[in-house]
Amino acid sequence: MSSLKLPVGAAGAEPSDAGPAPVRPGFAARTWRTVRSSRPAVIGLVIVAVHVVVALLAPLLTPYHPTTGDAAHALLGPSADHWAGTDQYGRDVLTRVLYGGRYALGVSVTATLITIALGTVLGCAAALRGGWLDDVVMRVLDAVLSIPAILVLLVIVTALGTGPSVIVLAIAVVCVPQVVRVVRGAALAVAPQDYVTAARARGEGTWAILRREVLPNISDVVCVEFAMRASWVVLLISSLSFLGFGADPPTPDWGLMVSENRTAITVVPMASLAPIIGLATMVVGLNLAADGLSKAWGVDRIREGV
Amino acid sequence: MTTAPKAPIVSVDELSVAYRSGSGGREVPVVQEVSLEVRPGRTLALVGESGSGKSTVAATLLGHLRHGSRITGGRVAVDGEDVFALSARELRRLRGGTVAMVAQNAGHALTPSMRIGRQIAEAGGEVPVTDLLEQVRLERPRELARRYPHELSGGQQQRVAIAMAIAARPKVLVLDEPTTGLDVITQRGVLDLIGALREELGLAAVLVSHDLGVVARMADEVCVLSAGRVVEAAPTRRLFAAPADPYTRRLLASVPRIADAGLAVVGEDGTREIRPRADSVGAVDVVDVREVTIDYGASRAVDGVSFRVRRGEVLALVGESGSGKSTIAWSLAGLRAPSGGTMRAAARGGAGAVVGGGSGGRLGARPGGDGPLGVSSGGDSDGLVGGASGGDGPVGGSLGGSRGGLSGVVSGAGSGGRADGPLGVSSGGDSDGPVGGSSGGDGPVDGSYGGDGPRGGSPGSDSNGSSGGSSGTSPGRDGDLAAPARRRPLALRRAVQLVFQNADTSLNPRRSVGDAVRRPLHFFGTAGSRGEAATRARQLIADVRLGPDFADRLPAQLSGGQRQRIGIARALAGEPDLLIADEITTALDVSVQADVLRLLDDLRRERELACLFISHDLAVVRGIADRVVVLRHGVVVEEGPTDAVFAVPGHPYTRALMAAALEPDPEAEGAVAAAEEWADAAEPGALWDDLGGGHRVRRWRPADG
Amino acid sequence: MFSFLLRRVAAALGTLLLSSVMVFLAVQALPGDVATQVLGRDATPDAVAALRQQMGLDRPAWERYFDWIKGALHGDFGTSLVTTKPVGGEVAQYLGNSALIAVVTVLFAVTGSVVLGVLAGLYRDRWPDHLISTVSLVGMSVPEFVVATVLVLAFSVTVPVLPAVVLYGPGAGVGQLLPAVWLPAASLAIVMAAYIVRMARTSVIDVMASEYVTTARLKGLTTWRVVTRHALPSALLPTLHVIALNVAWLVGGVAVVENVFNYPGVGKLMLTSVQNRDLPVIQAIALISAVVYVSCNLAADLGSMALNPKLRTRGGRIR
Repeated sequence: MSSLKLPVGAAGAEPSDAGPAPVRPGFAARTWRTVRSSRPAVIGLVIVAVHVVVALLAPLLTPYHPTTGDAAHALLGPSADHWAGTDQYGRDVLTRVLYGGRYALGVSVTATLITIALGTVLGCAAALRGGWLDDVVMRVLDAVLSIPAILVLLVIVTALGTGPSVIVLAIAVVCVPQVVRVVRGAALAVAPQDYVTAARARGEGTWAILRREVLPNISDVVCVEFAMRASWVVLLISSLSFLGFGADPPTPDWGLMVSENRTAITVVPMASLAPIIGLATMVVGLNLAADGLSKAWGVDRIREGV
Repeated sequence: MTTAPKAPIVSVDELSVAYRSGSGGREVPVVQEVSLEVRPGRTLALVGESGSGKSTVAATLLGHLRHGSRITGGRVAVDGEDVFALSARELRRLRGGTVAMVAQNAGHALTPSMRIGRQIAEAGGEVPVTDLLEQVRLERPRELARRYPHELSGGQQQRVAIAMAIAARPKVLVLDEPTTGLDVITQRGVLDLIGALREELGLAAVLVSHDLGVVARMADEVCVLSAGRVVEAAPTRRLFAAPADPYTRRLLASVPRIADAGLAVVGEDGTREIRPRADSVGAVDVVDVREVTIDYGASRAVDGVSFRVRRGEVLALVGESGSGKSTIAWSLAGLRAPSGGTMRAAARGGAGAVVGGGSGGRLGARPGGDGPLGVSSGGDSDGLVGGASGGDGPVGGSLGGSRGGLSGVVSGAGSGGRADGPLGVSSGGDSDGPVGGSSGGDGPVDGSYGGDGPRGGSPGSDSNGSSGGSSGTSPGRDGDLAAPARRRPLALRRAVQLVFQNADTSLNPRRSVGDAVRRPLHFFGTAGSRGEAATRARQLIADVRLGPDFADRLPAQLSGGQRQRIGIARALAGEPDLLIADEITTALDVSVQADVLRLLDDLRRERELACLFISHDLAVVRGIADRVVVLRHGVVVEEGPTDAVFAVPGHPYTRALMAAALEPDPEAEGAVAAAEEWADAAEPGALWDDLGGGHRVRRWRPADG
Repeated sequence: MFSFLLRRVAAALGTLLLSSVMVFLAVQALPGDVATQVLGRDATPDAVAALRQQMGLDRPAWERYFDWIKGALHGDFGTSLVTTKPVGGEVAQYLGNSALIAVVTVLFAVTGSVVLGVLAGLYRDRWPDHLISTVSLVGMSVPEFVVATVLVLAFSVTVPVLPAVVLYGPGAGVGQLLPAVWLPAASLAIVMAAYIVRMARTSVIDVMASEYVTTARLKGLTTWRVVTRHALPSALLPTLHVIALNVAWLVGGVAVVENVFNYPGVGKLMLTSVQNRDLPVIQAIALISAVVYVSCNLAADLGSMALNPKLRTRGGRIR
């Protein structure tokens, strides 16, 4: 027969999930625990990590140069010397694929970081301030969204050139609206919570409320959005390169490689397939990570059990 | 259990259920070896606090288990059939046909995209939908059947849910907290309906409830659960008259009763002792609310409400949902601007102490207790009086001042109310009365005045200087509460602090409890250094009777009652004059509620804290409040000292509320709610019938015909 | 309800107006103005100035903007700098070809993905869910041109049943184009379906966990009835907006895929116009895309009104 404890100090029963640990787990520790508990997230992050390592170590992994070819050895099939064969200029396909991750990762990560930062600030501000600011921001962003991303990218790149900084800027323009939408939605869910109300009743400023009360509670959404958006950006940049508006020709880029070698697909299929595999694994990795994180954090509101 | 001639229609035998969260989690027993029986026509109540497993047991009667749960032992038989041995087809026939369920929240339990007529028809049975709707005493059933759930009120939705449950004429009705979340009068109606249907249809019922008042009224037998086990099972009368188990005794003792003349203090062994009301009520007004109206768009939530709260007093705002009681709280806290009337906070000595003394670190800023009057009256009248009060206390002096003239005009409306103050100053207030009265009418004047307050009150000025130096800039805490929080002077923001209803959402889940309490200390500048803030946060956490090591925990590691205590500690960190408690015990279990109420009572005694206690629960109010204000649709219908109002409720609405309140006593046949028809008879200039001693009732007359 | 509709339409028109301004300004920002484009780099400044005057380029930007909008409202988008034909007619021709792909894509992607998404949601955490989720994850992770390339490899190279490239111009008839529609449409449908499947799955799981679905189950209803009558209307609500967004996305996705297959659609036109700096055509395509986007969203809003009686009767606001 159980008895109800009514100590002066602690009313009510301990919640079952409390555990004895009185130490506050930091965000990093909590994240690590969540991530480990989700197999897709681990797999995804490992894939992305491998991509990062390979991109960084590319010069050590291959004896060939990514942009200079040997015309005598053009359009070779896979062999011991060239594991994935060579392309029409006699460049080693595997080398170009390994180096290709550098461009994809570098540009995507930079672009995504800027996009997320901008989108988070805008989205939170719109959600917390509400009123006309919210209306104006959402209307403008809707207008940006209404024009196809590819067209916006093409116009910006045509106007300003195809340098990596231009592409980063162009990606930011195209992606910020969507990030704002997501973040704003998350912030709107936090805004009516009583702890935010308590801060308002103290008369705290918008910035303080944002930083102290809202951001910590949407950081999971932002993280998931980062992974999702990064995968999207990788795809977008590769599409741009494929269309000939992204990386300039000698640059080893996956999208560009597919478009260069597509015509020779019957002769050297590996020249097209290798960059496709590089691209697909990276995006799958990012998507898995996003998926796993969102599931572990309950971001997509799929509650596991309780 | 009484030996009834009929065989039980429901029998649960040594039932155990375990729950596993996620895929890797360990299995947690939710229900352990629970046995019970229900005979045809009888009602069994499953009673327990949250987490006792009562809802889980009830759902097994329909062969339903939560995702992740499984039966680890025992069996459930309904009408002779082992529920968990049935095939899918047989189970469907059992559900609805033999056992039907009325879920807790009808608002969530009805499909939003389907007309209710179709939802009822779908439940099967031969009875036409309109007949069913009539049977649950809903008017114009034909029209109602064509509506969608969101177009009905909460009470109507619950009746529709009941109609759906009885559609196929089941033998057993499972009622899972059928009236939780409904207003008292609505709840009474729904319970009466369930009782009547039970008789009419000869239903056996299993009632899940945490509310012992509901149980006392409805059940024939009671089964008390705690942590998944049956603690005690007995016929209702016997259980309430002579509870055998200590847990049951404490549970029963914790329930506040409408007849208590004070707060019940529950002992370890379940004894209860009524603590006499505090005599800490001072004579000083802390907050003065006059003719306040608050609008939500076109609809008026609060209409001309006036009340005052004195130092050390607990004033209860009582009303059903939609009475505007929480709106008033939010408005006082600076979260919603009133559209008319005045709301003023009186000054207090403590404010000056903290503003002036800076990091003086005086936890109880109370000592200035006498100062406030002097200061507030200083604001009300002219500079002369302010000067006098300056001499009064060590602190007040800094606040008297040249502003007096201006604030006197603006806050004049308030000064009339302070006529009962002991100092001669009040006469000054009186003389200002007429002027104040006129300015009280138009809010905007107040608003503009409030605007220039902030600079004066800013704590940055760590002036220990002469009173003359700060008097010019500091109107003190005597302030206009009509201004939104952000535009109030810092001292005024501290003066009013809010504790929220839902402890789950009132604390930031990503910040430690200590952080939550430290923040106001930092923000209001009352703690000079980090170390001091940490020390004081620990002290505050200890003040709400929690161990200081709680400071390092996250809200998720606390129980509901503990979280609510932290909510109170956070509010206390501002050293408020007025604590607003907005339904703070509504979401808590009854034993936890008793603890939190006691804490609140202790705090106001220790700190002479004024408290605006907002509640729908008359029994709770009876125990804790010194005075009561009854609100209905944003209008005050009755107010007065608690004992007077409960002894002789003057307004038919108050009487209806009291009649609907359920006592945890099956013998109590509560005053039969004679549906008294009435109409408002208040006229400008003749709003009130005064019953003496501050007890007054809004004028009404019996309705015609 | 009426005011809700009105508000939505007004908002849509506002968005359109805003995007038209953006389009106009962005195109103005492109280097080299139309006169230089027409006359070539070696033209004398006098000749350029004369042409600028003739084309009205010396007038202030806002005047030209209003002229453009006025024309656009009548279907007159100016003349193409490359073909010197009216832009309106030219775009319409390409647009018609693209619409053929779009209709096939939407038909397959939407029906297929909703069914799969609901299935995955219902069989949550069992093998159909795992299968569908994995496939949709991969679908999401490969760009359109990769899907297109792989499809070409499979159905034009290995098993040559469908054409890898279109050999007809924009004026080709439906009969000539029809065989070439399937591969582009399939590429787009696979990518598009992946997103919708995931959304549908999530919202089905959400709704199936709701109290009203539990209540419906405890009423003794069959699973089929619970799903179709109680769960689906609410589950489809959020999916509807994802579908709308994806249909609008088609306009951009089409650009890549049409390029792979050399299909004479609006995407290909877009690309060549950007390459040729054919400003009036770019403007026209952008504006038309904006119209498509806005009307898709409006349609989704109307659809949610049909599914959600709360919106119908109270005119609440959708977030």
